[in-house]
Amino acid sequence: MFLQDLLTLKKEIQDFQVVEQYEEMGFALDKKERIEESIKEVTEKLDPELYHRFLQIAVKYDRPLAPVKNGVCYGCFVSAPTGSKLVTEHQDIIEFCNHCGRILYHIA
Amino acid sequence: MELKELFTAANVSLDLKADNKDEILLELIDLLQLDEKAREMLFKMLKKRENLGSTGIGKGFAIPHCRSLVVDKLKVAFGRHAEGIDFNSIDGQPAHFFFLIVAPPIEISNFYLPVLGKVAQFCKSPDIEDKLKNLNSVEEYLELLGTISN
Repeated sequence: MFLQDLLTLKKEIQDFQVVEQYEEMGFALDKKERIEESIKEVTEKLDPELYHRFLQIAVKYDRPLAPVKNGVCYGCFVSAPTGSKLVTEHQDIIEFCNHCGRILYHIA
Repeated sequence: MELKELFTAANVSLDLKADNKDEILLELIDLLQLDEKAREMLFKMLKKRENLGSTGIGKGFAIPHCRSLVVDKLKVAFGRHAEGIDFNSIDGQPAHFFFLIVAPPIEISNFYLPVLGKVAQFCKSPDIEDKLKNLNSVEEYLELLGTISN
């Protein structure tokens, strides 16, 4: 999830119009290039298999992660989506949507 | 959407206790009442955002913000710190007033940037620092939002 958030931030600060709006509001974005370091730091710590799957899904979808609410994948809007699972080297269990293949996450 | 519609007594604190920038971020996040995992991730994300340039916009205001998957709709919080905290603000002055704004990566209503803009505008209102400094209750804060924001 953190990697996806960083990629969203990267996309945002590459959008000239959005950056212009931020600057008009008075926000400093003078060290934008640091986003690359942050992404590198996170990807280096990710489970290699999970990162590989993430990249594969990212080829197909702009956002490889999707929330699941009431049993519905909010990426493809198919219910009861849980498909394959991956146990990472940190013993986290990652679920994938059976329909679209996105990585699923739950919001409290 | 008006700013006063976004705030409730639960996401406002007029008595932040933090001693530094990180603690301020955590205190603000706590006002959003997220679970521990989401709290931790949002903190890391806000730090990464601050790393690109401070959200301390000067005159005692800071507006930490980001988009994150940990929320499913726009969430805001407001905090006041009496002594002020070094937030690496653009004017080098300590920040006393903090607005936290977090939104999911995609919102159908697309409130994130407009709300951020309204908050930034609110911070530029005449005598706003004094008005916020003199607040005695959260109710007064909510009332102030109603009179100034539009």
